[in-house]
Amino acid sequence: MKPAGRTRLRADVKTVARAWRWGHRPLVPRSVEPPAAEHRDFPTAWARTETGKLAREALQRFALAPLLAAETRPKVHGLDVFEHLRGPAIFVANHSSHLDAPFVLTSLPREWARRTATGAAADYFFDVWWRAAATALVFNAFPVERSSRKRSNGSRANGSRANGSRANGSSRATALARELIAEGWSILMFPEGTRSRDGWVRPFKPGAARLAIEHDLPVVPIAIRGSYQSMPRGKGWPAKGRLPVSVRFAHAVRPAPGEDVTAFNDRIRTALAAALDEDRTTWWDARRRAARGDTPDAGGPDAAGWRRRWESSRPMPVKPRAFRT
Amino acid sequence: MPRPGFVLEVDERTPPLLFHFGEGVRLERLPIGSRVLYPSEPFPGIADVDAAIEHALEHPEGSEPLRALLKPGMKLTIAFDDISLPLPQMRTPDIRGRVMEHVLEAAARAGVDDVHLVAALSLHRRMTPAELRRAVGERVFRSFYPDSLYNHDAEDRDNLTLIGTTEHGEEVELSTRAADSDLIVYVNINLVAMDGGHKSVSVGLGSYRSVKHHHNVRTMMHSRSYMDPPSSALHSSCDRMGRLLAESGVKIFTIETTLNNDAFGGSIAWLQKREWEWSIKDQASYLATKRFTDAAPAHVKRKVFSRFAAPYGLTGVHAGETEAVHAKTIANVHRQQLVEIDGQADVLVAGLPSIGPYNVNSIMNPILVTCEGLGYFFNMYRGKPLVREGGVMIMFHPVANEFHQVHHPSYVDFFEEVLSETRDPAAIESKFEQQYATDPWYVHLYRNSYAYHGVHPFYMWYWAAHAMDHLGDVIFVGADRATVSRLGFRAASTLGDALDMAAETVGTSPRVTAMKCPPLLLADVR
Repeated sequence: MKPAGRTRLRADVKTVARAWRWGHRPLVPRSVEPPAAEHRDFPTAWARTETGKLAREALQRFALAPLLAAETRPKVHGLDVFEHLRGPAIFVANHSSHLDAPFVLTSLPREWARRTATGAAADYFFDVWWRAAATALVFNAFPVERSSRKRSNGSRANGSRANGSRANGSSRATALARELIAEGWSILMFPEGTRSRDGWVRPFKPGAARLAIEHDLPVVPIAIRGSYQSMPRGKGWPAKGRLPVSVRFAHAVRPAPGEDVTAFNDRIRTALAAALDEDRTTWWDARRRAARGDTPDAGGPDAAGWRRRWESSRPMPVKPRAFRT
Repeated sequence: MPRPGFVLEVDERTPPLLFHFGEGVRLERLPIGSRVLYPSEPFPGIADVDAAIEHALEHPEGSEPLRALLKPGMKLTIAFDDISLPLPQMRTPDIRGRVMEHVLEAAARAGVDDVHLVAALSLHRRMTPAELRRAVGERVFRSFYPDSLYNHDAEDRDNLTLIGTTEHGEEVELSTRAADSDLIVYVNINLVAMDGGHKSVSVGLGSYRSVKHHHNVRTMMHSRSYMDPPSSALHSSCDRMGRLLAESGVKIFTIETTLNNDAFGGSIAWLQKREWEWSIKDQASYLATKRFTDAAPAHVKRKVFSRFAAPYGLTGVHAGETEAVHAKTIANVHRQQLVEIDGQADVLVAGLPSIGPYNVNSIMNPILVTCEGLGYFFNMYRGKPLVREGGVMIMFHPVANEFHQVHHPSYVDFFEEVLSETRDPAAIESKFEQQYATDPWYVHLYRNSYAYHGVHPFYMWYWAAHAMDHLGDVIFVGADRATVSRLGFRAASTLGDALDMAAETVGTSPRVTAMKCPPLLLADVR
């Protein structure tokens, strides 16, 4: 019998490697995370210079788009919505995969892609300099503080983690988004705040709706289907077999005069749900359901977790080769 | 500025946490939502230790300066804490030796010829010459050993004096040399709040006849905790004895020192780092240590670990009247060790290290493990215990059935004879204590060998009495099942198993609190 507490070297190394995330950024328990005030904002203005724009366009066109095409079967629908759209605008997409931003940015008409900045989670994409630099360059990203996470921090015992620092971080990010809009940049946002764990759409945070109301901007819902099946949370590369991914742009919604943030936020989410419904079925069926108020909830069925994951991980049908357009 | 102690809330980002496991270490993942008490980082030590000592002797609390108390022709006894302090042993020069050199320098200047230095070890084992030399320093050792530097003998009936009886009927018996001295200078190391004050002289230089009045089940059950002197019946009794000594004309000049939390230095400094701040080097050190402790025999591990002396820094030195000095000392200890936490837990988790006060250069036998866990760790609180009444304490320790035959002879018999009959502290006290305390063979070994007094294992068991009464269950993870069963506790293979077992007592969703100790901390439970 093995004496108590003894373990094999391999098991010990594995434990330490996993726990301290060898090769990845280290994590700090939330209750002892340093106050946000200690974080310095990563500068991103350099990525919006002419040189940055050229480099980004080259990367998106000659590296990112071919890579996505090689690993998945992307399909873009609804580009006609841009015919009547004048910028800047706010693009709002559902979010279940790291593939979502690349798909949207490579699907946008070129003149829109050149003038679009992406809100990215500050605690994830801007924690180490190399990740921040790559994200800023390729996606024209700017840091967004995920305020609910911030509020969860703080140690009751020593009281040194002030919630106020979170609010400061969030207001800094909003201020940056306002500056970008004022300069004519469109903004791509994922209002769920983080990637969905089960493939269904999470509740929307009100940031996008608030910005749209403040600046009277159109909001373009973008329905993405298939990215969850291809590369869900926890995966670092698209699944084998070139799974289909659909990106569908819906007609822009505009804030009505006097409409409050919550109501407009709900309207954006409903529009996105209708776009997802259209992508799943047909334009006509989706329109009829929308007219009746029967559009299926984008949040998925009220069922056990495994059933929700089971349903959303169901592979999207692939048309036989002879019928592909 | 050192970062204060704090309470970590375990979440999915928390790496496995390091726990001591006897002469080993282990990483454990606690359930999400568990709270973990971390001690404060070490406070900076005093840069000029000699100047601080000199200042304390020249500007004492509630007393004349030491030089004014020293007269030619007087009888001076310098008593000092024994090897049970500090833990781990500190790097040389030991603070006791440094203080003693200043006291002796003053005595030499005052023309004091009759000076004795006594290790105030009460009923602990005698210190070896090498251990004495380490504590007092080479210069003091060479000047006084063996004639005037020696261990206190609590069984030397010809050299014990009954000072009197307190209003509570507590007899106070003291070393005759100390009782007859014109001045006793006591040099202390106050590692935890339990140490020092009136306890130093009345216990350190006392006898079984004296000590039994507070080292008993009733007193320990009313010491809640004995790490919080105002709430401790043990300390109230010692205070009464100390005041009786003062009224009887025994003049004591107390010198108390406090140390910071710097328990692990050099290549094992990672042991006191916060896990999420471990560097690659720290992770490699853990893996190397784990390999070594898994593979090496126990005696080799003990030998290696005993070589790591702590780089403690001095955080305070105060001298003068005992109570005035001790108030300042306790404030210093609290400043370094107190950690606030809201509310009690259902389950308290702790990893027990290989060293305790009574197994320095020795083996931590099962009785000492019990004392370490249920005596010391459980009682590291102020206010109320970290775990609620009827809760469960889970500890990591192998609890090997291993005893040091020279240091702990009566422990072997206590384990085999007493615990096989009963584990009830009160029953043990009434039926067996006298027999062990007066056994001529144990007395002989205590006086002439290096054995703890025959009654000492009883005190260790009483030390745990409050915890045994308070807790609903005690589980040791990774322990020898037969040994733990003899102690009256339960063994589990993993923390997960232990929590499953604890569910029988506290339900399936317990509030779990863990202590990261050492370095030492004192939980201030609100």
